[in-house]
Amino acid sequence: MEIIRTESLVFKYIQYNEDNAPEAPPALNGIDLSVEKGLFTAVLGRNGSGKSTLAKQINALLTPNEGTIWVNGIDTHDASRVWDVRQSAGMVFQNPDNQLIATIVEEDVAFGPENLGVPPRQIRERVEEALNAVDMEEYRRAAPHHLSGGQKQRVAIAGVLAMKPSCVVLDEPTAMLDPAGRREVIDTIIRLNKEEGISVILITHFMEEAVRADRVIVVDHGQITIDGPPREVFKQVEAMKSLGLDVPQATELAYILNARIGAAILPSDLLTMNELTDALSAVADGAEKPASIPVRAKPAAVKDYKPILEIKDISFIYNQGSAFEKKALDGVSMSITRGEFIGLIGHTGSGKSTLIQHFNALLTPTSGQVLFNGADIRADKSKLKSIRQRVGLVFQYPEHQLFEITVLKDVEFGPANMGLSADEVRERAEQALAAVGIEPALFEKSPFELSGGQKRRAAIAGVLAMRPEILILDEPTSGLDPKGRDEILEQIRFMREEMNLTVVLVSHSMEDVAKLAERVVVINHGRIAFDGGPGEVFSHVSELEAMGLAAPRPAYLMRALRRAGWDVPERIFSLADAADALTPYLNHRWNGGYYDK
Amino acid sequence: MLTNITIGQYYPADSPVHRLDPRFKLVSALAFIILLFFVGNIWGFIFTAVCVFAVIKISRVPPLFLLRGLRGIIFILLFTAVLNVFFTPGDTVLLQFYFLRVTLEGLALAGKMAARLCLLIVGSSLLTLTTSPIELTDAIEYLMKPLKRVGVPAHEIAMMMTIALRFIPTLMEEMDKIMKAQSARGADFDTGGVVKRARALIPLLVPLFISSFRRADELATAMEARCYRGDVNRTRMKELKLSRMDLRAIPFMVLYAAGIFALNFI
Repeated sequence: MEIIRTESLVFKYIQYNEDNAPEAPPALNGIDLSVEKGLFTAVLGRNGSGKSTLAKQINALLTPNEGTIWVNGIDTHDASRVWDVRQSAGMVFQNPDNQLIATIVEEDVAFGPENLGVPPRQIRERVEEALNAVDMEEYRRAAPHHLSGGQKQRVAIAGVLAMKPSCVVLDEPTAMLDPAGRREVIDTIIRLNKEEGISVILITHFMEEAVRADRVIVVDHGQITIDGPPREVFKQVEAMKSLGLDVPQATELAYILNARIGAAILPSDLLTMNELTDALSAVADGAEKPASIPVRAKPAAVKDYKPILEIKDISFIYNQGSAFEKKALDGVSMSITRGEFIGLIGHTGSGKSTLIQHFNALLTPTSGQVLFNGADIRADKSKLKSIRQRVGLVFQYPEHQLFEITVLKDVEFGPANMGLSADEVRERAEQALAAVGIEPALFEKSPFELSGGQKRRAAIAGVLAMRPEILILDEPTSGLDPKGRDEILEQIRFMREEMNLTVVLVSHSMEDVAKLAERVVVINHGRIAFDGGPGEVFSHVSELEAMGLAAPRPAYLMRALRRAGWDVPERIFSLADAADALTPYLNHRWNGGYYDK
Repeated sequence: MLTNITIGQYYPADSPVHRLDPRFKLVSALAFIILLFFVGNIWGFIFTAVCVFAVIKISRVPPLFLLRGLRGIIFILLFTAVLNVFFTPGDTVLLQFYFLRVTLEGLALAGKMAARLCLLIVGSSLLTLTTSPIELTDAIEYLMKPLKRVGVPAHEIAMMMTIALRFIPTLMEEMDKIMKAQSARGADFDTGGVVKRARALIPLLVPLFISSFRRADELATAMEARCYRGDVNRTRMKELKLSRMDLRAIPFMVLYAAGIFALNFI
């Protein structure tokens, strides 16, 4: 039986162009799709590809302009059965805050069945069942704003489950969560699919989530371009990359290695690091172990070894003296040298956001000192502005701070606050925009007309225009699609080199940190747990995992290979380094005469 | 900053007062406020204070928590007291400087007003402290039901209140974040004259408005996706039902009212 079927589905959002004439570029352009009941389907596609529009069609929030979609056998054009459609295909959205309606968890879960007119006693039973299913029973009386992101999303899923749907559509439910929250939500979704037999349609930007699906559908320009089981889809590395998407790291590494060796020695449809380990072991089976291969050392930046920022034993307590007192930082000391690139990691609530707000005096430490170029930043209140200009802080989702009429004016806000001349302000703004790759054609547009990635870059330019000496970025890639993420990271690397910046990158993504940072600082429970080079810090795998963090995935591969008796270096954290380390080894195996070609 | 305000906060606990029907509590609170104005002498105030204290004890809300709520109105309290002390005409003059005079009547009135205000605040905070916002909105919706016939959208009003209550903490958090982000770009919210300060709010208010609209839009979509269609064919998980406890509480309320009137004759 199929739960969803579409026939040449076309949908257009009506827009008005500059002459106020209606324009309708198709968001969905002839979708023919059939989804079997009980399957876990992942939908991938870059931002603007039409995948969210497709999700809204399934829930009858939008109905096709042309063609038809049947949900559970019901044509969504049939206005009299809209509620049946929405009941059978529940929907969970991206922002956990903007879909919870009630002030108490159980009331929120009850919202759906209440709307369906279910008798009160049954609603109670359903709420209890639904909260049990997502493992949120103990929070039934909690207020949503006291929950973590992952918990909120699980409540949202419970709210849908209480309506007894046969299918759940999730539109990037993990985009705004930290890795721990992401795992909670995905595990819940998979359990519902496997144990309760609920069909799941998951829209996501995370390939590691898509790998666990039964079927992967790639949408681009309103059409389905690739469709099949994850193995079949992800082996098309080139095609996926050209669509602005990623493939799992194991798949990519196998692809790189095959390309370097010049032969398909590894299967192209590997999905996990475990599979890759097995495949590599099979290739090396019975052969002698080659000698250790030197690792490419990261080029060290030129530093003058003078600390630009010194944190001296700071502690910070929120709501001191009230019932809600909370110690966020507990005796943190660190020193940042000019020219360094630091990755700051820690799970949500570890205190890392609190810490960076001390760097530019947005928060005053309860005890301890912050020194900038040797002077206490709190000593002279009149210099606060100058401190904030020299220590640039880019918050998470910085695009939410845009407010001006044009992009240029918004970026000028910072330098204008510094009291510079109009010419100087303009020059700095233009330079900053150029540095983040925003073309002059966009300068006079409203910031709200830009795409998601462009908005974020414009917002970063807003801080950059003040010409800070040190730039702190809090989760600069969260919520972006793979292409947008890579662009931002590349931009950060570029800016750092061009402008000789000191950078502190706060991130949940170990892969991002491993790729860029020369020093990694780990915060846990308001204290510094580790501080050192990536090699040293990421070698504490089990300690990191106990903190809800992880080492970058290539490190796990190297560890597994070493256990299997390979003499590969242990401290490898990026795909490029892993490929460099493995290539000579495989070359030796493959082209060295042990195998017949 | 918001933690100092007790009015409108809910104090979760399991007490007989918490379990009372919200409609009963709402009506009782209104009756209590009205009755306060019939209290004529010191005995009436003592009686009321004792009753309020008894209810606080039963409700298991820490008395200190309630008293802290009074901090917010200290200014109003002092202001009215001073006005009453100095500007009440009376015969028994106690002190006199130039045109200011303090009379016994003035002092008595000031004391009464202060007692009334304190009891009013404590009594009405008791309602919100022991009744979750959602129960309260349910009660309001129910009590406004008769007004539906004359076109008052009772359900919609209650729904709006719920959503507002749900989003206050979220928006407070967001405002704090935007304020910090703009401060990081050199914005200054604390110095300058009125005009400068008002202008400084633009970078704060515009993003806050935009995000509120975005939230409203997303929330509306999410509500629709969960089959919300107004008050059509809707049931409630929690049905309001008067329990034995409510019935038992009614005589207490009546006795209290009778006591207030009776004490006026002392």
